[in-house]
Amino acid sequence: MNPFVSRFSGNSWVMPVSAMSLVLGFMISMAWVTKETRGSRLGLLGASQNGRVSSGTVDMQEAIEKTQAEVAKLRADNTKLQNAMASQTSSTKALNDSLQEAKIIAGLTDLQGPGVVVELKDSKKPASGIFPADLIIHDIDVLKVVNELWNAGAEAVSVNNHRVVGGTSFRCVGSVILVDDVKIASPIVIRAIGNADTLKGAMELPEGVLSDLKDIDPAMASVDKVKSQRLPAFTGSTTKRVGIVPKDSK
Amino acid sequence: MILIPIVALFLGAALALLMKTPVPGVYGQYMAVACLAGFDSVCGGIRSGLEGKFRNDVFTSGFIFNILIAFFLAWLGDKIFVDLFLAVALVLGARIFTNLSLIRRFLLTKWQDSHERKRMQQIVQANQSETTQ
Repeated sequence: MNPFVSRFSGNSWVMPVSAMSLVLGFMISMAWVTKETRGSRLGLLGASQNGRVSSGTVDMQEAIEKTQAEVAKLRADNTKLQNAMASQTSSTKALNDSLQEAKIIAGLTDLQGPGVVVELKDSKKPASGIFPADLIIHDIDVLKVVNELWNAGAEAVSVNNHRVVGGTSFRCVGSVILVDDVKIASPIVIRAIGNADTLKGAMELPEGVLSDLKDIDPAMASVDKVKSQRLPAFTGSTTKRVGIVPKDSK
Repeated sequence: MILIPIVALFLGAALALLMKTPVPGVYGQYMAVACLAGFDSVCGGIRSGLEGKFRNDVFTSGFIFNILIAFFLAWLGDKIFVDLFLAVALVLGARIFTNLSLIRRFLLTKWQDSHERKRMQQIVQANQSETTQ
């Protein structure tokens, strides 16, 4: 006699329920949100659930930082290899010198030198009689300071240890500022390498970029000269997908 | 015995995983609601099985139709801009809770009964051995 028949004859519900459970498991697996279907299904959620589901992705920040550390390491290795190659002949040496110079301009190597540190902070003043939005640092404040530093002859600029390069963007999103898609918030530390006196003078011009902030609360902006500081290399993407170098300028 | 449906559940999930068939977009949402209906039916099946009231035709047709109705209601809700999605989720969620609590009560009672029976048997045996001595 079939042992299963005798086993289940008393409880005939087990087999049908198990069969339907199999179908149900199949369906749940089909409905499960995966990497591929996430994008197309996220937009269909209500605002509150969307926020709940998306809150986990904020932790991507850590992953981004890790990847950036790796990029920095690989670029440093690249520089070492280039230098090693250059030690062979004088022609490769000349080539490498101009390459390293280009990398400094592009912000792809660390740079050390004197300069200034500009610190921007949200004001702690009570918002009585002042427009509350004036008490916080906005993307435009960072943008103006960086622009003024370049104008005063800065050779390299970093914002919260993120190197500013040709394509760097500053944007406000909610309560944070995005520098090349990396989130930063007050206090914002802007470092610049260049002639320290010139840079400090540019920052403290009457009616200059910081005067509006200092009028509201002197504690919102401070400028300090530094004898020597090291700015990190740019760790964002340098891949260009659309543009190509025209043949006649090669 | 109650483990067999659970094992089957994971087996089905693994099967779909192997076939790599995630449903994208809005149909994935309808499928999710349909899953709730299926889960409710399976819970109901286990409950009626434990209560001894299980009928195969009622269960199987209920499973299939509940899934189709849930899918259809969620779809209809999006067509007429009424959030029937929530209605389905609410009703089925409540039913799943009820079914699971009934299953829990039933198993608890069964366990307590067998416990009590054992205790009684021990008392009876003790009495018997006393009288024979």
